[in-house]
Amino acid sequence: MSDLDRAIEQLRACRLIPESQVRELCYKARELLIEEGNVVSVDAPVTICGDIHGQFHDLMELFRVGGDVPDTNYLFMGDFVDRGFYSLESFLLLLCLKVRYPDRITLIRGNHESRQITTVYGFYDECIRKYGSANVWRYCCEVFDYLALGAIVLGASSELEPTSSTVNDTAQSNLAIADSELETEVLDSRGHVTMSTYRPRQRSSSDASTDSRNISPPRDISAAPGQVAAPSRSGAPGTGASSDGNGSAVTSRTGAVLCVHGGLSPLIDSVDKIRLIDRKQEVPHEGAMCDLLWSDPDEIEGWGLSPRGAGFLFGGDIVKQFNHLNGLSLVARAHQLVMEGYKEMFDGGIVTVWSAPNYCYRCGNVAAILELGEDASGGGTVARSNGEFGRSNGISGDNRVVSPGRRYRVFEAAAQDTRGMPAKKPVADYFL
Amino acid sequence: MNGLAIRVMSTVDTPTAHVFTQPIKKIHESQDVSAFLTSKAYTDIMTWILQLNRSMFPLKLPDNTTQAWVINSDAIQYSAPIRQLQRLLLKLEDIIQEVPPDTGPRRFGNISFRRWCEVVDSRASDLLKECLPAELLQTGSSQGEGVTAEAELKAYLMGSWGSGQRLDYGTGHELSFLAFLGGIWKLNGFPKADPGVEERAIVIGVIHPYLDLIRKLIKTYNLEPAGSHGVWGLDDHSFAPYIFGSAQLSPAISESDLTPEEGSLLNAPDPGGVAKANIVERERQTNLYFAAIGFIYDVKRGPFWEHSPMLFDISGIRAGWGKINKVGVLNLDGRYWWANRQQGMVKMYNAEVLSKFPVVQHFPFGSLFSWDRDPNAIPPPSTVHTTSGPQARPVAPDQGMPSVAATRPMPGAGTQAPWAKSGSVGQTSLPGATAAPWAGTGRAGAPGSSTNSSTRTLPIIPDTSRMPPGAMAPTRAP
Repeated sequence: MSDLDRAIEQLRACRLIPESQVRELCYKARELLIEEGNVVSVDAPVTICGDIHGQFHDLMELFRVGGDVPDTNYLFMGDFVDRGFYSLESFLLLLCLKVRYPDRITLIRGNHESRQITTVYGFYDECIRKYGSANVWRYCCEVFDYLALGAIVLGASSELEPTSSTVNDTAQSNLAIADSELETEVLDSRGHVTMSTYRPRQRSSSDASTDSRNISPPRDISAAPGQVAAPSRSGAPGTGASSDGNGSAVTSRTGAVLCVHGGLSPLIDSVDKIRLIDRKQEVPHEGAMCDLLWSDPDEIEGWGLSPRGAGFLFGGDIVKQFNHLNGLSLVARAHQLVMEGYKEMFDGGIVTVWSAPNYCYRCGNVAAILELGEDASGGGTVARSNGEFGRSNGISGDNRVVSPGRRYRVFEAAAQDTRGMPAKKPVADYFL
Repeated sequence: MNGLAIRVMSTVDTPTAHVFTQPIKKIHESQDVSAFLTSKAYTDIMTWILQLNRSMFPLKLPDNTTQAWVINSDAIQYSAPIRQLQRLLLKLEDIIQEVPPDTGPRRFGNISFRRWCEVVDSRASDLLKECLPAELLQTGSSQGEGVTAEAELKAYLMGSWGSGQRLDYGTGHELSFLAFLGGIWKLNGFPKADPGVEERAIVIGVIHPYLDLIRKLIKTYNLEPAGSHGVWGLDDHSFAPYIFGSAQLSPAISESDLTPEEGSLLNAPDPGGVAKANIVERERQTNLYFAAIGFIYDVKRGPFWEHSPMLFDISGIRAGWGKINKVGVLNLDGRYWWANRQQGMVKMYNAEVLSKFPVVQHFPFGSLFSWDRDPNAIPPPSTVHTTSGPQARPVAPDQGMPSVAATRPMPGAGTQAPWAKSGSVGQTSLPGATAAPWAGTGRAGAPGSSTNSSTRTLPIIPDTSRMPPGAMAPTRAP
């Protein structure tokens, strides 16, 4: 068993590894991360996760519900640290898994992966308390600077494979009439389907309209529905940084999914602009990089000031336009607590995924992860464009991309009896 | 007794000649915190808290028995102003009935709290008039600009209830309520009495019900902890009950004794009791510290040592409640509580509340709590705290920026930027919602690479904190 495997085993047991090993781990992680672009390309199938915030036992529950690494391909959208008691254990485990299985787990940066934020919201204090110095905090912060800013999921299927477990209602499958496909499905932590939606199978230019057959999803339908006029684009496509298929805008039948911690930026109108950022630095107080990690969607038109004091609020029109211009079907982001664990907004153009159940021990929320399946319809190959919008759809002339099938697994906080025994009561010598 | 100053907060000498000013914010960036720490307001606030703290220590009676000051104690007499303040709190509580929580979809904080704040705001003047004598409130109307005492008091009263915009509540709001009470004190709104008599009535009779009302607001409207550090803070919302509650359980003293620095009241519960639900349930009925712990039990799920590690560690202190309370000299020798020795709740309050930009940035300064420099204050050395704290957010360049819609309310449960200083992004931020430290800005700023040891020194005011009220002290006696 390698040192790395041993470290993984130890961290899975919620026990810290020695400082020297952290240093080595962080060094290796940096070497790995420096090779990644600002926007990592990830192939479906993938399981997308939101904020963790040091809730180690709940992270273990997440792996139980979503499958273990490397069996499941994971994408974590940042905010691994701060506020929770086990930021170190959580982040170091994820980092070990990243170094051990670099192609099976993707970590992108959240606004809490920052020196300034971690000194305010707990991670710094945790490092001091658990290691007795700021060294480990410093090593981790150096890793933060190398984390990617976003990811593009390619090749997701528009249709979900029906879950084998339809224990709850056999009627479910009857609803999946021949001309419909399963679009979204919500499962509880035991794998039981609690909600599903279908949409008509469509191959022509007709818009994909969602046919909700079940309980209405916690989807926000209050956004102004009107069609947003997409500005016609004649110039260079937004994506073309690479011609080998790694370009961001991928318009197979199912559009690509952009994953980012916070949201959009008024300074970023194409995914390629993200690629141009010099990311290897502390998160700035403003600018594109800051916005990607700090912004929030909101029921407004256009852009608004964020009450957070960093990033912006952006409305449904902004999302629709951004998705359209970039051949995206969905923006997946984290950054905001949602009581149901996930929340789709703006006709499903953006989703918030939150993976820290009963946040801060008191919020009473459930957590969710989002699974995107692999599109097998094309015989394993995914039609990819260079992002020049409209070309890949050939003759249809239909600019509309279809959203991926989305399977949400919802879970609650880990049972308390799964926790280790209380640590030996620390000596409060600072009160001596 | 010796004549060291500031035992009791000074009052306004000649109210009729006093010029009141509309309180306004003075702390705009993290550097301003050092000016605050040498201001008259800071001295007054610390003096006021120490004065209240002192009053909560059990009293040795001439017959060698001990009088402890428990919640609902018959031994505490409530003067008319105290009773009026209690009525004020009841009226505010009644407003909750008028504004039930919204049942519609929401992310976390309940939007109806905004309405509750509006109702309170619209009635604030009337509520004050019912609560305090007209001649007190109208003091100053014939002076200068005609700003009245009411204007100053109202500013602190209205700052006491949390942020309607962000749907959160934190120690900055608690501080505002302490200042509201302190303002009434300064205006001689409480009757003359022996040392400690009115003070302990204020703590038990007003501050405790205030905290209860706050807890009800938090639960009713799901208010978020402003600026929560998650498990890495003392408490999500409050600080005052830990100060006064630890004093309640400290050794008994006579009026001329120094305030004890260790030991406990005879038969006081063991500090370790905070981790035992049955003990908490019993003690929360009589003690402010346990009442606060009890609220944590009410709202949090999970092992106590895990969700409240600071309080858990404090519970391991063997030198008693006096040690937990210990005020000590007021200069701090370290920010990091875990690594450095800070002593006791009051010092911690000084470091974690009064010295934190995000907490104090919204504190308004008028004539009662004055931004003027305290001539006796010793200026704090340039420190990590004041130098590496986040700066004001640079002005966004027009170029390339979108037109920005009106500021939207904080949608709850998010991190605020510690540097954020816009609008009323207030005291601190939330559990779900992180604020940018630089926005309004910075709780302690990022320790730069050279500052990891984070030593920081706060101004030193003469350490009279353990001394009983002295003859030389300014008092309310005529």
